[in-house]
Order: sequence, then structure tokens, then C-alpha cells
Amino acid sequence: MSFLSNLRKRFDSKRVTLQLDDIQGLILRSRPEPYVGIHAMLHVDDAAGGRDLIGRLAGHVPSAEGWTEDMPAWMGVALSHAGLKALGLPDDSLKSFPLAFQQGMAARAAQLRDEGENEPETWEEAYQNESCHIALSIFAQSDAELQRVKANAMAELEQATGVRLMGTHEFGADKEAKNPFGYRDSISQPTVAGAGVEPNPGDERAIAAGEFILGEDSEAGSPVAMPSPDVLGRNGSFVVLRKYESCVGAFNDFLREHGSDEEAQDRLGAKMFGRWRSGAPLNMSPDQDDEALGADRDKNNDFDYSDDTKGLICPHSAHMRRMNPRGSKLTILTDQNIHRIIRRSSTFGPKWSRDMTTSDDTGDRGLFFIFISARAFDTIEFLQQEWINRGNFLDLGEERDPVVGLHEQPGRFTIPDQPVRRRVNGVTTFNRLRGGEYMFMPSISALKWIGEGSWLRG
Amino acid sequence: MSKKTTDPRLDDETRLQEFRRVAKEVAADAPQLAKIAIEGLIRDHNKLFDGSSQSAGRAGRQSGNVSELTAIAKVKPGGAARLRRIFDLTGGNFDGAQRVSTLHDMRFVFFDDDTRIIFATTYDGDWDTYINDFGTKIPGLMDLLFANIEGWPGIDSPEVKDFIAGHQIDAAGWFVANPQVTVVDVRRMQRMEAALNDFMDKMSKNDAMDDTTRDALSKLSDAVSVPEGVDY
Repeated sequence: MSFLSNLRKRFDSKRVTLQLDDIQGLILRSRPEPYVGIHAMLHVDDAAGGRDLIGRLAGHVPSAEGWTEDMPAWMGVALSHAGLKALGLPDDSLKSFPLAFQQGMAARAAQLRDEGENEPETWEEAYQNESCHIALSIFAQSDAELQRVKANAMAELEQATGVRLMGTHEFGADKEAKNPFGYRDSISQPTVAGAGVEPNPGDERAIAAGEFILGEDSEAGSPVAMPSPDVLGRNGSFVVLRKYESCVGAFNDFLREHGSDEEAQDRLGAKMFGRWRSGAPLNMSPDQDDEALGADRDKNNDFDYSDDTKGLICPHSAHMRRMNPRGSKLTILTDQNIHRIIRRSSTFGPKWSRDMTTSDDTGDRGLFFIFISARAFDTIEFLQQEWINRGNFLDLGEERDPVVGLHEQPGRFTIPDQPVRRRVNGVTTFNRLRGGEYMFMPSISALKWIGEGSWLRG
Repeated sequence: MSKKTTDPRLDDETRLQEFRRVAKEVAADAPQLAKIAIEGLIRDHNKLFDGSSQSAGRAGRQSGNVSELTAIAKVKPGGAARLRRIFDLTGGNFDGAQRVSTLHDMRFVFFDDDTRIIFATTYDGDWDTYINDFGTKIPGLMDLLFANIEGWPGIDSPEVKDFIAGHQIDAAGWFVANPQVTVVDVRRMQRMEAALNDFMDKMSKNDAMDDTTRDALSKLSDAVSVPEGVDY
């Protein structure tokens, strides 16, 4: 079943409680498959010129109204704290944002464990010195649609004064929507309560809207902290953007070193990711890949780990199981429902091939890891500290995520087995951080409010 | 971020040299014995068991995986008596605290005629990482303990992190015997100890052992057969 017909089957407008016509469409709408798109980064030198541009861009940002309908292309707009400052927002507004957002991602390196080869001093220039002020993202079904929306945005930008285009990055993937390592990704997404759809088979219950949309009630029962004034904060959300360079050759070499033939290598890779390359989860197809299952959106996420408490099928330390434990027993008191994220990642670079080696790692492959959450900064710092760069929550001491963990010294990956577990040594940093920023994705009325700058007229 | 001294003379000093110099400055007027004692405090240890002293996220200090939080706050009138009753009821067992599984200990001390409280705890990781989880999983316990503190905003309040940070005082000195070991690690080690002893009992009666098993068991026995203090 196609993505849209699946979505419509589960949608009922009577269940909608959110103000869909004020929320940016990108927040609720998953990227299409196949997809193409572009990220653009802007820097604001002149506050009035910047505000004028934001106001005009607002007209090109589709709302989430009709988010289950045909949308050939859509654009999203997000702003960093440095960007809000450069746009001249009032001081009390700027101070009403979460502390981590005010500081920016680079300044949070200690909390994010962005150390050594991932430390901000090594990042690409575009992410240095808080120079990313405005991020535009366009997702489209086809190149023609992308060019159409891009032309609209560029026309607005050309009319703007005092706003510089820092850089653009085109991305895309074919129908299989595979990441740089050849695995289908972004399969599991949380269901947002009040957006009108029921969860897919196997998905957890719908998560309180306030975990994703500011001003709505969160899992704690009340809204999380929201920036002021109300028109600026309500119906917005927060975004984490992290650009990773994927060391695909090093990953291939690692699999070759520890797997005697292609079958053994693919099995080790699946143990590390939790899914086979097609997207078929280990827990539904333990022994070999299943292309048909992997491609079937109705089925490929319909599982949990209740029959796999020892991790004999999917290791506790597998990337997918770490990032979404689906009710697995964890050592530490954790509310798994407040660490769920809406993922909007995009892949760039050539497709995966088996024969690549470390010497082919030239930095041209990777992904923009992008996610949306009302607690985005708490969540990424929690994930980086606890679920990615540690094993304590799994009773695995200091073992780290084998796919996205930072491994300054070669790490190990534990694969539970009978009669005794196996440990694979020599895990290195397969995804290296090249930069990132903490962003705010305002509502459409907030974009217009910024555009008007009415606070300046008292 | 570790709060390092900014003395430029330290740039090229090794850790041990730095310790020796500081010890000499501190012990300049002390008898020789005291100097030796100070050096004994600071000599290099096995890295596997090494501590450190860094900031634990926003406030407090961190040594290895373990952190400290010390906070002083005003108690509401009658609050000390109410809290004493709760502590007496629990008799030292805090089920909620056990469930959290990152708390090594908690200490509540009243002073100034029960008008103020020192709250001190040792825990694993950064202090604010799991605050949101407490807010949705054990809000009742958190509010029960802290509702007697002046100004407590409630565990689910967006201001709760600022409130706690505002009352925290960094420890000036702090020692952790096992800085790399978390509460969860200790529990696993206790389970492993029992399972390992069971395994060794069975192996001690196993005469039909192949060479690989015999070799691995001998190494295992070597590692645990000599009584060891913790100063290594």
C-alpha cells in the first residue's frame, strides 16, 4: 500500500484537535519516497530585511491542514537563536526560550558528548560562529516540483536586503529510500495525538501532542515551556539539525574483518542496525533479509521485543533497539514516550556499494539527521548521553551505539547468543559529526508576526 | 567542562608534577610527614579505577560516571516535622529511589532550628538528564519530598531545573572510591558474583574438562584468588 493511502485509511477529521492550519506542514508530513530536496542556510545582516523576508516566505510554507492529501512539494522554515537575535526580536522573548537553544548546539558540546573528532572546532565553516540563522528545507516528490518551489523561494531571497545565502545542499533517494549504508531508514515515526490518524500496526499508542507541538498538553499533563509571546511560541516546535559524514568504507571493512563471507557480513550489519538492508526487522525475519517485508509499510514495523527479552534475535545494543526500545526492560527509570522524535532526515551522496573500503571515504556521503520535538534539546542531549554514548541503561556499562556512537577508542558490540554472548571489537565512529544547530520551527502566524515586527512600534 | 586552574605555569606540567608543586605550596610550613601524606593523596592510580573532578552538567561535580549534588534551601513551617515522619516511615528504604536506579545515596539534614535543609546525593551521569522522566514517572514521590521546600515549583513545572540549579552549591572537595561504577553496574556485579560462584562450584567437580576450558578457568581463578585491597 502506498504511503498516502495508508495514511488516509487511518485519518479521520473528527479526531483532529490540533490547529492544523497554523502548524508548518513539514512537522506532520513525512518525506515522500522517492524524495528529492534541498536545505538552504541563510545569514541575516540586516534585521528589517530579514524580517521582511520571513514575512514573505510565510506565504510559501504550507500548513498541516490537509497533511494527508496530495502534496507534490513543501517547504519548512526554522530559525536559530542567533537568527532570532539578528531579526531583532524583543529581549524578553529571546530570554524566554530554553537555555540550550539560547546557547546553541556548539556551546552544548559537553552535554552532547561532541568531543574529539566530533568537537565543534572541527565542524564545517557554515556551522561555526552561530552563522546559521535561517534554515529552509524543501522536500519534493520529483525534481520538477523541487525546482518550482525552489524558484519561488529564491525569487523571494533575491528581493531581500541584508540576507546572505550561506550555502545549499541538495539531497535525495530513490524509491527504496536507503541511507548511506544501504539500509532503508526513517521507517518508525511516532503518532501525534490530535493530528487525526490512528497508529500503524505495531506502533506504540499515539503520543500526547504537547511532546511535538508547543502549547499543547505533553505526556506530563501540561504544556512544556513555551517561548513568549503566545503568538510566537504556540503551534511551533523545536528542531535538531546534525550533519553527519558517513564512513561507509570503514563500516564495510569492519563487516569484512568480522564476517567470513557476505552472508555473515550482512548478518552482523543487521545485528548492528536491528534491520536488514530492505528494512525488514530482525525480529520478524531473524535469519535472512526479506525484501517484500522490508518494503511493506503495513507490516515492516509491526513488532516489539516482548519475545526477545534476552536480545538473542535483536541485540540490546543494536542501533534501532537503543533508539526505540518499544517497551523493552531498561535498567533505569525511563519514560519511553517522552524520548520519541519525528524524524525528517535526508541522505546525500552516492548509493551504497559492497566493494567500498576505507580509502573510498572522501566525505561525500552522509545524512542530515533532522528531528522535531517540543523537547528537542532535552531529548538529543538525553539520547547522546544515555542511549547513544553509554550502555548503562541496558546493563552494558560503557558500551556505545555501534552505528551513531562516538568511538574515540575502538569500541565493542555485544551480541547475545547461546551458550555465551559474542563481543565484536574494533567499532569506530561510522558517522562523524560535521556540524549542527538548534532551531525553532515557528507556526505560520508566528512567521507572519516576525515579518510584521509590530513589537517595534510599541 | 573541568574547572582547571588558569596558572600559565601549568601548561607544560604533567599531572603528577602539578600535584607535587601544589602539595609543596600547600605544605610549605608543614612538617615533612605531612608532605608525604599529601603526595600519598594524589599519586597516579590505575586508569581503570581513576576518578576526575569535572562539572556534572549545569552544577555539581562529576568524577568518572558519578556525580554529586548538594543543595541548601529554606523549609516551609512544619516541613521538617512532616519530612521526618516520611523518613521514619520508609526506614531507609525508598522504593521510588530504587526504581530510579541512578541514585547511590540521598541525605537530608535539617539545621537552623529546622528552618533550612541540606539535600545531598550521589548519582550516575548528569543531573538533569532524567528530570523529565521523573516528572512523568514518579511525580508523586518527587513532590512529596520537595513540596516542603520554599518555592518548589512542582516536578512537572518548566522551571524545576532552574529552581534546583539555583539552590545548588558545588562541592569544593569530593572523593569517590569507585568513580567508574554505576548503581546498575554494582547490581550486575552482584548477580555475576553469585552466578560465577555457582559456575565455579560446578567446574570444581568437572573432571572431563578440555584444554580451552581448563586454561580459561585458571585465568579466572588467578584474577580472584589473592585478597586485594582497593588501593591499586
